[in-house]
Amino acid sequence: MYRLVDLLALPAVQRGAAGLLIAAVALPIAGVFIIGLDIIAVRFAVMHVALLGITVGLLTGADPTLCGLTACALAGAGVAPFARRPSGLPGAMGLLMTFAIAGALLVLSLSGVNATGAFELLWGSILAVRGVDLVVLGVLAVAVHLLYRRHRRQLALLLFDRELALCSGVPADALMLALLVVVAVAIGAAIRLTGALLVDALTILPALGARALGRSLRSMVIWSVVLGLLGSTVGFTVALLVDQPPGPVLVLVAGALTLLTYLIPEGATDARPSRRRADRPGDDAVPVDDRVWQH
Amino acid sequence: MSSAAIHFDRVTCRYGRRTAVDSVVLDVGAGEHLALTGTNGSGKSTLLRAALGLHPLAGGSVTVGSVAARTRAQWAARRRQVAWVPQRLSPGRFPLLVDELLDSGGHPPAAREAAAGLGVAGLGSRPLHTLSGGQLQRVFLSRAFGAVAAGAQALFADEPTAALDFAGQEQVARLLTRLPVTVVVVSHDRAMARSCDRVAEMAAGQLRVI
Ligand SMILES: Nc1ncnc2c1ncn2[C@@H]1O[C@H](COP(=O)(O)OP(=O)(O)OP(=O)(O)O)[C@@H](O)[C@H]1O
Ligand SMILES: [Mg+2]
Repeated sequence: MYRLVDLLALPAVQRGAAGLLIAAVALPIAGVFIIGLDIIAVRFAVMHVALLGITVGLLTGADPTLCGLTACALAGAGVAPFARRPSGLPGAMGLLMTFAIAGALLVLSLSGVNATGAFELLWGSILAVRGVDLVVLGVLAVAVHLLYRRHRRQLALLLFDRELALCSGVPADALMLALLVVVAVAIGAAIRLTGALLVDALTILPALGARALGRSLRSMVIWSVVLGLLGSTVGFTVALLVDQPPGPVLVLVAGALTLLTYLIPEGATDARPSRRRADRPGDDAVPVDDRVWQH
Repeated sequence: MSSAAIHFDRVTCRYGRRTAVDSVVLDVGAGEHLALTGTNGSGKSTLLRAALGLHPLAGGSVTVGSVAARTRAQWAARRRQVAWVPQRLSPGRFPLLVDELLDSGGHPPAAREAAAGLGVAGLGSRPLHTLSGGQLQRVFLSRAFGAVAAGAQALFADEPTAALDFAGQEQVARLLTRLPVTVVVVSHDRAMARSCDRVAEMAAGQLRVI
């Protein structure tokens, strides 16, 4: 126990813990969006898009991180129109992934930029987080929360069915664009800050668990943040205690949590039995009276 | 509450190279109730979806009130103007609660009152994918009644009684008849057709008998 206390006194560990906490209250929500849009390939795609952006940055002398994030935002915006086709988005994300890998490798090879250097800019580590990174994470967390809080009802409809959303006055295309840009930038920045492996533990794993436990967008978002916080706190602590890199340990802990949620029988959380009489659809003899139309 | 006249002017819709709706001309008066029947695959759903901007028009136009929607904003207004009960009730890719669906029509109290009348009041906190087919249809109908209460001037209902039991079919036919807005209802049900002012029939993408 003393060891843990000593470790927590180190500034690098403190910054890492703070970074994880900020990430754990926001990235799981992005994970819920990713699961809702059925675009798990987005992590891999964005990673290579970021690499492409970083390479361009190194080539042109512009700030590589900024170039990487801009590339992520552009990629998110670029796939948004595919969401108009039914199930067009997962396919587009897969395509983007292959294009981005090929593009990044080609640009690296053509430009003669040191590939390891570019990759290093991409692979962050939670223990190497700097103060400025915490600010970036914080801004991202606020953006994810704002998007969710401002548009919760609209997002629920859009993730459920695009046409229903359109028929309910939701600006489906604009909202989809915002959603994809925020998800892509969040993933890109998180990879830079925490490392690619940790991004999965903070986005997809809690969201998968939340999918098993939640009955609506709202409850899924709450569950995902709970699972994200639990997974990162336990994982980080265990990693410090056993003196191993936080990435893999955290992923294992978060994965185990997700696996646990799968043990809950399907539907156990869906149908809270309602004792109200009206739950019996046979009793529909009461016609709706005309008052309904007089509002 | 007001109702709008609807004018389909040489509406043509395609899927790839196949023409699903072929130069359909149809006028529905303000407040009129029209039953649209016809063989399976004759283009009824496509015609209504095109009028809502959910399927592209390859030719012609659809005017509701006096507006032929062209811009994105006009289509958005069109979808507020016309309440819609789709034929394929999507249980969705993602959980949505019955209450969230009811509220999306724009008038939660009216939608919930309609849901009570249709016997699905107690289902509010259930995700849609846990409902039976008939319950799902009742919830979508209640949502549309909410949309009418919110100010829609017309209702398009695409086989709204296909999944309902006998009592439900009669009840919904009665409710639709009393609706004080323009109604176009796709139905293969004779009782529903009889309760409407007029019947139009489609075959192979064209309007046949009126
Ligand atoms: N997504 C699609 N892609 C290709 N063809 C389609 C698609 N949807 C419908 N069609 C075709 O367009 C034609 C009209 O379809 P539509 O759904 O409008 O018919 P309908 O009159 O509503 O039929 P039903 O009574 O079976 O509901 C059919 O021939 C159908 O096969
Ligand atoms: Mg049809």
